[in-house]
Amino acid sequence: MTIGTSFATVLSTLVLGLPLLGFLGISLAGSHLSRRIVRWLGPGVVLAAFVCVLVLLVATLTRPAADRSTTVVLWQWLQLGVPRWHGIAGTQGFNADFAVTIDPLALVMAIIITGVGGVIHVYSVGYMADDRGFNRFFAYMNLFVTSMLVLVLSANLIFLIIGWSMVAFASYALIAFWYQRPSAVAAGRKAYITQVIGDLALVLAAFLIFLNLRAPGGRLLHTVSLPAILADVGPGHHFSGGLGPLGGGLVTLVGLLLLVGAAAKSAQWPLHSWLPDAMEGPTPVSALIHAATMVTAGVYLVVRFHPIFQQAPVAAGVVAAIGLGTAVMAAVIGCTQHDIKRVIAYSTMSQIGLMIFSAGIGAYSAAIFQLFTHAFFKALLFLAAGNVIHALHDQQDLRTMGGLRRRLPLTYPAFLVGALALSGIPIFAGWFSKEELLANALALGPATPWLWVIGVSVNLLTSFYIFRVVWLTFHGAPRSTQAEAAHEAPPVMTVPVVVLAVCATLAGFLEIDFAGWHPVTAFSTLLQPVVGLVRAHASAGAGLAALLAGTLLSLTGIGVVALVYAWRVLPVDLVSRRLAWLYRLSLEKFYWDQIYEMGLARPVMALAHACSRVVEPRMFDGTVRGVRDAVAGLSQDFRTFQTGYLREYATVFFAFAVVGLLVLGLRLA
Amino acid sequence: MSPQLFPGFIGLSAAMFAIGAMGVLLRRNPLVVFMSIELMLNAANLVLVTYGRYTHTMDGQVFAIVVITVAACEVVVGLALITGVFRRGRRLDLDDLSELRQ
Repeated sequence: MTIGTSFATVLSTLVLGLPLLGFLGISLAGSHLSRRIVRWLGPGVVLAAFVCVLVLLVATLTRPAADRSTTVVLWQWLQLGVPRWHGIAGTQGFNADFAVTIDPLALVMAIIITGVGGVIHVYSVGYMADDRGFNRFFAYMNLFVTSMLVLVLSANLIFLIIGWSMVAFASYALIAFWYQRPSAVAAGRKAYITQVIGDLALVLAAFLIFLNLRAPGGRLLHTVSLPAILADVGPGHHFSGGLGPLGGGLVTLVGLLLLVGAAAKSAQWPLHSWLPDAMEGPTPVSALIHAATMVTAGVYLVVRFHPIFQQAPVAAGVVAAIGLGTAVMAAVIGCTQHDIKRVIAYSTMSQIGLMIFSAGIGAYSAAIFQLFTHAFFKALLFLAAGNVIHALHDQQDLRTMGGLRRRLPLTYPAFLVGALALSGIPIFAGWFSKEELLANALALGPATPWLWVIGVSVNLLTSFYIFRVVWLTFHGAPRSTQAEAAHEAPPVMTVPVVVLAVCATLAGFLEIDFAGWHPVTAFSTLLQPVVGLVRAHASAGAGLAALLAGTLLSLTGIGVVALVYAWRVLPVDLVSRRLAWLYRLSLEKFYWDQIYEMGLARPVMALAHACSRVVEPRMFDGTVRGVRDAVAGLSQDFRTFQTGYLREYATVFFAFAVVGLLVLGLRLA
Repeated sequence: MSPQLFPGFIGLSAAMFAIGAMGVLLRRNPLVVFMSIELMLNAANLVLVTYGRYTHTMDGQVFAIVVITVAACEVVVGLALITGVFRRGRRLDLDDLSELRQ
């Protein structure tokens, strides 16, 4: 069906296979492969996959809008059940094929993964040039790209979960890449444990869907095929009545479990605390995994399963609340952090919170558009920050920077573009996506004006914390000897930054949507076959006022930075003196790490210690020792029979023989 | 052979067996114990042959020949063991071998 099946099969095999080939080649060849080859192979396979994705996109766009979803089976994995039983009620085969769905949503994600990913791979060639683990790094990076593509392209719940878990592993391996640092290993472990919580929730959701989903006729489907599942929960289909004994409660439960999975992956409260720690990994990893792709997988999940959330308004409301809450909390924390990468990490958390919020209130296209522009400007910010860190010889503390504007003549404007796009300043990409998102918040949310007010206040915080970073890094006087001796990175690191800066400037023009005025709708039209079209807007006047207010608030944030740091009209310690509690709350990241330490880690460790002191020695060791002692004691007793005198054995033998014969003789008689 | 003689043969066999058994139990020289075992085996052979004649079948004789063959094999193994023990300890006393239990 749709675009030629063999064509789609070949191309999707290439998209998935090329990064996999890179991973296998680099990891199996190990140190036999010279860096010169890896330098071309690592980024090459990802960029080649990007070309294949673009070809698939063009091929998809040539189809009519209703016909843009193609599912091809690449590999028949499991086929259970007898085919001739098909059609008889209650008995049917179970198929779990490795199939991919190529539809606009998957393609947008694949473009980000391979496109932004490819640029970051090129950058890594420069950033990791002096690292001993150069080959290992590219092996993991290619593995990550493969896993992420499996996750977004899979047409099957099982392979979606496999991809979901594989990205968690790749993320773990890359966070703990510098395994000589105990803090990096601890951060990797923390990230992985959090991911496993999400994996578990996703697996439970998959089981619930598998066991309870009914076809329109009321027959249980027992399918793991995503197109089948999403078609059957779609509007006009029989779902709420067919949810088994729990009815509407079950679909809410499925929605909440999916939310737990999404929250773990996307670092949303209460599973957020791994993301700032993940900044222990190399900076390209932060850009690729913890800004552009993996952390946005949660948004993808919610949008992909939007038919379920449409049936479960309670779950969708919780999604929106958690997204918005995380957006505000992370933005507040970002204002006081001293580590340049951590500020950007909290910014990522905050922006993804907005996307999750947007997906929760039903503005799916706006959420994905924000995801799309965010991938460019956040990867840009991370890579530019990487250049700064590189120039300062692995120094990440904002307090040691300053005055880098002239010393990094290419990185400075690129970082500035990223900051402007993130803040939502007109003509940069973030402005278009964020204003569309906020306009939807004004029109769609259940308590609309308030949701909009909270969402737009994030704008103020966002532009404040990112321009605080801009000022502390690039302006003022150098505050360390490294900052005085800084020099610009080589072209292999500056060119990718410039490419991303161009994208972060222009990507917004794909969709222009101001309060009911839509001169350009390329993006939402592209996604329309998958997520439908949401064009609910407040009145034109209110929309325009909202647009102006949002933009003004962003500018205000920059103004506050100028007042505090540039013109010194306001004292720097204004908040830390007047609102000390708020400052401490922000600096200590709302104390979540301490809460988890006290509430979860300590009790679990105490339980473990108790087990190791009582249960293990008494129960397990005790049982083993008891068996050993019983056997030893018994054999001590029997030992006395063994004298070693042959005649005693013979006597016993004869005695028993005589007794046996007597018994036999008596019985015969 | 007249049937009246059968109790005599059986009695002789029983006596041989008892003498052999006592030898096994009481003597300490392994060679003598070995000869006693041969005595017991031959007592059993005598019973087999006697009953073979009594029932006018060849089964008893055949069995006796099998026993003689097995006894020959057993002698080979047993004498090898005794020679080995003698070479090691220069003494032949079964009770001394009780140290093998350790």
